[in-house]
Amino acid sequence: MKEFALMMIGAALVNNVILARFLGLCSFMGVTTRIDTAVGMGLATTFVMTVSAMADWAVQRYLLEAFGLGYLRTITFILVIASTVQFTELVIRKVSPGLFRMLGIYLPLIATNCAVLGVALLVVEGRMNFIGSTLFAFASSLGFSLVMIIFAGLRERLALAEVPRLFAGPPIGFIVASLLAMAFMGFSGIAAS
Amino acid sequence: MTASAPSASHTVEGIARVVRVDAGMAWLEPEQTGGCGSCASASSCGAGSPGIGEVANRIAARRFPLDNPDGLAVGERVVIGVDPHSLLKAALTAYAIPLVTALTAGGIAEGAWGSDLITLAAMASGLGVGLLIAGIAARQLARRGDLAPRFLRRAGGGRGFDATICETMRSSESPAPSATDSRAQRVTP
Repeated sequence: MKEFALMMIGAALVNNVILARFLGLCSFMGVTTRIDTAVGMGLATTFVMTVSAMADWAVQRYLLEAFGLGYLRTITFILVIASTVQFTELVIRKVSPGLFRMLGIYLPLIATNCAVLGVALLVVEGRMNFIGSTLFAFASSLGFSLVMIIFAGLRERLALAEVPRLFAGPPIGFIVASLLAMAFMGFSGIAAS
Repeated sequence: MTASAPSASHTVEGIARVVRVDAGMAWLEPEQTGGCGSCASASSCGAGSPGIGEVANRIAARRFPLDNPDGLAVGERVVIGVDPHSLLKAALTAYAIPLVTALTAGGIAEGAWGSDLITLAAMASGLGVGLLIAGIAARQLARRGDLAPRFLRRAGGGRGFDATICETMRSSESPAPSATDSRAQRVTP
């Protein structure tokens, strides 16, 4: 249990998908103008990342490894992720058209999110068992959502601040992101006792 | 569904276009204003042009009806809004419930049997159960009207009433173009 807890803390905070691995930067900069949209995107990414990691683990173990097709890993994972997104979209539309109208905007964005593919590849390289892989992906996506929400909160405050014209817009956004990344570097000193 | 405008400062806003009007209802399609299809690589990935991205966007699939006491016309662009708490509740219902049930089922199966295959099957079953529960919860949200977008104001830019008024005002207020103005008009795209 302690092993899983440490692995999850490491995946969410120490090796954060956005700030340490620099994955998913498109949605990090694009969907963080408001906290509400960041929460929606974060939850959708958490769902897709976890479910696609489960599917990718099964495909890797029972198809690619079993038949010696490891060289097709990346393209297969892309297909699995796209299928997961389409499946999620279909299910939400079937289960609740109202939810689909409200949340459907985030799903096409996730299909092209490199963080989802990156985590799936990390899971395979980590050679973990199924539950370990799923928890790793879940923790990574929680870290992704946490950073998205924190950054959205900072950008909401920045919108009210007087920023010099030269730095207004994306430049100050990148400066804030770098400060956030430096703050997260503090987690790298965590030691298990 | 009421058409009264809630407080705009606490509303998540979006722009939609009226595509059909019938029997006191206006059918709207949300506009894709950012994200996929708006980046510099849109032309190469196909999101900004007819292709894979356009199919994935499925704008038409997100068409929704709205009460039309304000006399919206086809082609008008309007600002619609949803309560941010509704957005959070919807996201939690759709994504958090299935994940929690899947992880709980997987944790129980892992603790009881410790087999990857059984854990995988348990998680898939948990996911299915979670989606069913999410469906029930979503129906309750919809019954309370929490998932319904509300009309806030006209956005302009369409071919509707506001756009016509703006064009009329511009043409009546603008002075006769001088030689410099006509040059500027030629340069301006």
